[in-house]
Amino acid sequence: MKDRWEHLVGLLGLALFGFGTWHGLVVAPPDIYMGDVQRIMYVHVPTAWAALLTLTFAFFVAIGWLVRGTWRWDALQEASIEVGVVLGALLIAQGSIWARPTWGVWWDWDPRLTTSAVLVLAFAGILALRSFVDDPRRRATWTAVAAIVAYVDVPIVYFSVRWWRSLHQVQSSPDTVDKPMVLALRINAFALLFLATWLVARRYRLARARNRAELADMEAA
Amino acid sequence: MTGMIQGGWEFVQAAYGVSIATLAIYAISMELRLRKEKP
Amino acid sequence: MELLYQCLIVLRKDLLQQWRARARLAAVVAFGLTTLLLFSFANGPDTTMLRLNAAGYLWLALLLSSTLSLGESFRVETQNGALEGLLLLPTDPRAIYYGKALGNLVVLTGLGLALIPVMVALYDVAIPMGVPRLAGVIALGSAGLVAPGTLYAALSTRARGSDVLLPLLLFPLVVPALLSSVKATALILTGDPMNQLASWLGLLTAFNLIYWSLCGLLFGRVVED
Repeated sequence: MKDRWEHLVGLLGLALFGFGTWHGLVVAPPDIYMGDVQRIMYVHVPTAWAALLTLTFAFFVAIGWLVRGTWRWDALQEASIEVGVVLGALLIAQGSIWARPTWGVWWDWDPRLTTSAVLVLAFAGILALRSFVDDPRRRATWTAVAAIVAYVDVPIVYFSVRWWRSLHQVQSSPDTVDKPMVLALRINAFALLFLATWLVARRYRLARARNRAELADMEAA
Repeated sequence: MTGMIQGGWEFVQAAYGVSIATLAIYAISMELRLRKEKP
Repeated sequence: MELLYQCLIVLRKDLLQQWRARARLAAVVAFGLTTLLLFSFANGPDTTMLRLNAAGYLWLALLLSSTLSLGESFRVETQNGALEGLLLLPTDPRAIYYGKALGNLVVLTGLGLALIPVMVALYDVAIPMGVPRLAGVIALGSAGLVAPGTLYAALSTRARGSDVLLPLLLFPLVVPALLSSVKATALILTGDPMNQLASWLGLLTAFNLIYWSLCGLLFGRVVED
């Protein structure tokens, strides 16, 4: 079985996520300021890291396609962009749930929140682009170009939103971090990383299978 | 008085619920799509 | 030098083409004016609010119109296979990109200038820092919209569902350009006691530098495949 390693990684991620969540919800003490709401962070921050890493990966894969031009790179583009968008959408939902008890609103124009929304929309647009282009080679190149252009935007969006909001107060981030808290955060960071790897690997296999079928169809036509 | 936010467990549950549901649904849809692709 | 020369030829061809299709351009201007008018209905007849939001409305009108003008500029090229023809000549694709982008910049800046008097009339704004400075900000902000817009228009007009695709790709991307243009324009309309204008213009310039060079590099890959 070729896909055994990825299931191993996926199971490891699942186990770690279970352990980390138990740690975050039960073992870790409530935060001095944030109380129990702080526990959202044990899933929110790891999701943010995983989403950003997946989309960063997509950026390098896009360069990979432009340089090498083999179908593996395109399948990897499709996989990492889709998983990145799903994780990003999840990230925004978590952020919104966190904002409500903390800042009293469902949405806040916080630079990180706004940047992730822009990022998710930009990459979701690229997924739409993929579905609108029929020629596979053209689709792959256009995806790569759009992914590079969108990724470069991330730091610019972040800084522009930060300046835009500079009249508002800066969010206080509690820096009193207890040992069980750090542990829960670390475990879940690896858990989400492994789960994301599994998702990308599975999505890659799906993209490869579809790509092969598509190329065979074109060959036959 | 430390100013600690009281309660809020429902938000914690919602955040973890959304996370687990999203990941689970996406994973299941992926396996279904893969199964359809493989004859 | 050769690149500059080719770029100017493409620009001239583009402007000529836009001029020939001036009926369509007039439609884009009418569209921009309509959106400006509609924003005042969304707000209600509260003059203070309108004056406060004037900069934002102006830029939203420009952004919405830009999707029309950008799409138009490439639709002509794809309809009669002119782009393929250009690529057959020994033209540097970068020259095509910069020529087209400059053509779009001229059109969009012209549209922005045409909207100024209407904005002044509808929203009752004053321009304490002067029209030349406002025109400069409009040109710089339009350049920010046009740089990725030209690249995306080149690909979306050759895909299915191009009408929905261009805004879908472009809008999230230009958030920093839009934000800094709106801020800079608002400062010009209301005065700049804190000297913030320079930093917004700096951000806008940085956005322009990054995207004018990056999109020029990538454009070749988009049209060759």
